[in-house]
Amino acid sequence: MSELQVQGSEQTAVKLEVRGVAQRFDTTVALTTTSLSVREGEFIAIVGPSGCGKSTLFNIVSGILRPTEGSVLLDGKDITGEPGHVGYMLQKDLLLQWKTSLENITLGAALTRRVTEADKVQAAALATKYGLGEFLNHYPHAMSGGMRQRVALMRTLTFAKDVMLLDEPFGALDSQTRMDMQYWLLTVWAEQRSTILFVTHDVDEAIFLADRVVVMSPQPGRIRQVFDVPLPRPRHLDMLTDRVFTALKRATLELIYEREPAFTGRDEK
Amino acid sequence: MTPDSRDGERLWVRILVPVVAVGVVVGLWLALVHIYNIAPYVLPSPSATIQAIHDDWSVLWEGILLTAKEFVIGFAVGTAAGFMLAIAMAQSRWVQRALYPILIATQAVPIIAIGAALVIWLGFGLAPKVAIVALIVFFPVLVNVLDGLATVDRDTVNLARAMGASSWRIFRIVRLPATYSPMFSALKMSATFSVTGAVIGEQTASSTGGLGVYLTEQQSRLNTAGVFGDILLLAAMGVTAFALIALWEVWSTPWRRRSTAPRRHRYTPTTPSGPEESQGVSLAIASPSSHTQPAAFN
Repeated sequence: MSELQVQGSEQTAVKLEVRGVAQRFDTTVALTTTSLSVREGEFIAIVGPSGCGKSTLFNIVSGILRPTEGSVLLDGKDITGEPGHVGYMLQKDLLLQWKTSLENITLGAALTRRVTEADKVQAAALATKYGLGEFLNHYPHAMSGGMRQRVALMRTLTFAKDVMLLDEPFGALDSQTRMDMQYWLLTVWAEQRSTILFVTHDVDEAIFLADRVVVMSPQPGRIRQVFDVPLPRPRHLDMLTDRVFTALKRATLELIYEREPAFTGRDEK
Repeated sequence: MTPDSRDGERLWVRILVPVVAVGVVVGLWLALVHIYNIAPYVLPSPSATIQAIHDDWSVLWEGILLTAKEFVIGFAVGTAAGFMLAIAMAQSRWVQRALYPILIATQAVPIIAIGAALVIWLGFGLAPKVAIVALIVFFPVLVNVLDGLATVDRDTVNLARAMGASSWRIFRIVRLPATYSPMFSALKMSATFSVTGAVIGEQTASSTGGLGVYLTEQQSRLNTAGVFGDILLLAAMGVTAFALIALWEVWSTPWRRRSTAPRRHRYTPTTPSGPEESQGVSLAIASPSSHTQPAAFN
């Protein structure tokens, strides 16, 4: 049931393909056979309760984890179990405390080769463009949570701008900063033409950001359904109350909370 | 962002406060000697102490050089050994489990007892004193460096791995710098105690030279001013060692005190929009007018 084909009508090339991937740890099934095709430049949001296999799927796509079955293809090339092909970012910014913003942004280069002057110039230009100009020489402890997440995204973007996996990147931020960051991310995404897989607990955030929302379920971890988000771009705040938005939100929430009808409360369904 | 308040504090204020504090201690010492009219062989006055140092300066200077040499070599050996063993222990939980109790046991043995054994093994030369100082520094460095390595987030290591980094690069860039702050704490802590170690080493394993030997000699002659002069010099040595390590710490871990990088680590753009932009990875550095954010969210 979780075999999913490209649903959209656009003819863009498939960028990333998760093909029949499954993961078992000893006897527990973390992820049942799962397939997902992601088009080039697409923004995919993944929602689901904890234990639904989101993180497992992420680790498999990023190459840190080799799946028990199946394969991951990037531009048609098998990258299963090979780290270093896609960018990766978590809720924790994971910035190195002893490095400045700029040094953190060029971390990918520092970890694999020498950081050249050209690397620095490019990183500085990118960071300046996206609002980090005054913070290039700041240490992480001297920046706010939002700014640190921007640095973390710039690090991810500089390392691999083609495909980025973002695992609840704004989960620890207050709602105001979070809104700012969502707009900011959409700007970066649109201009850099990246392909993004974005994991979140927040259904609003998922629908607001994504082209498609993938709903996952636990026990065993699997993809339940994939919704297209027919909202136009660029996205705006008033779309959060749009009827299309609320209908989608309701459908998604029903899938996530179907085993807990108490959630709907007085709602007559 | 405003710079740290430490940066803003005037230098002379930072120097004046400790100088005044030392002055107060000397003043109390002076007052004690004069008000209670204490005999010079019980507690010599500050001036008598300085005089004792002055009178015997040539001998004391030799002593300072020798004790400092023992101290510096022992300190370096102990630090290097502790650091390397910590790194080895961090590689394997089994090695750590096997070695930790043994190492703790060695710390429970009194240094003086080890001193006697060291004389038998290493003779009366430089070696036993260096060994004692090294033994004192070794353990705090080991424990603190291990703690530092343990603070490295697993996710950070995973991220580095996902970026395709080799184990060596991960160690050098991600794990090693996490040990600096705890290591400096250990070094500062053991700096003063190591001076004591050098003195103990000299007293148990020496017949000539060093401030420790001088101390014993003056004690046996009931030359209290000489003893106090020697103590003063030992204290000065400890304070100097501490200060040098603290300076080294400030210099090598700027992120602990500053919000921005010091000039030597700072990136300053050369000529804006150099020719590098056009090569390699295209990052689409376009005009900033393409922002789609509504004004309310800027």
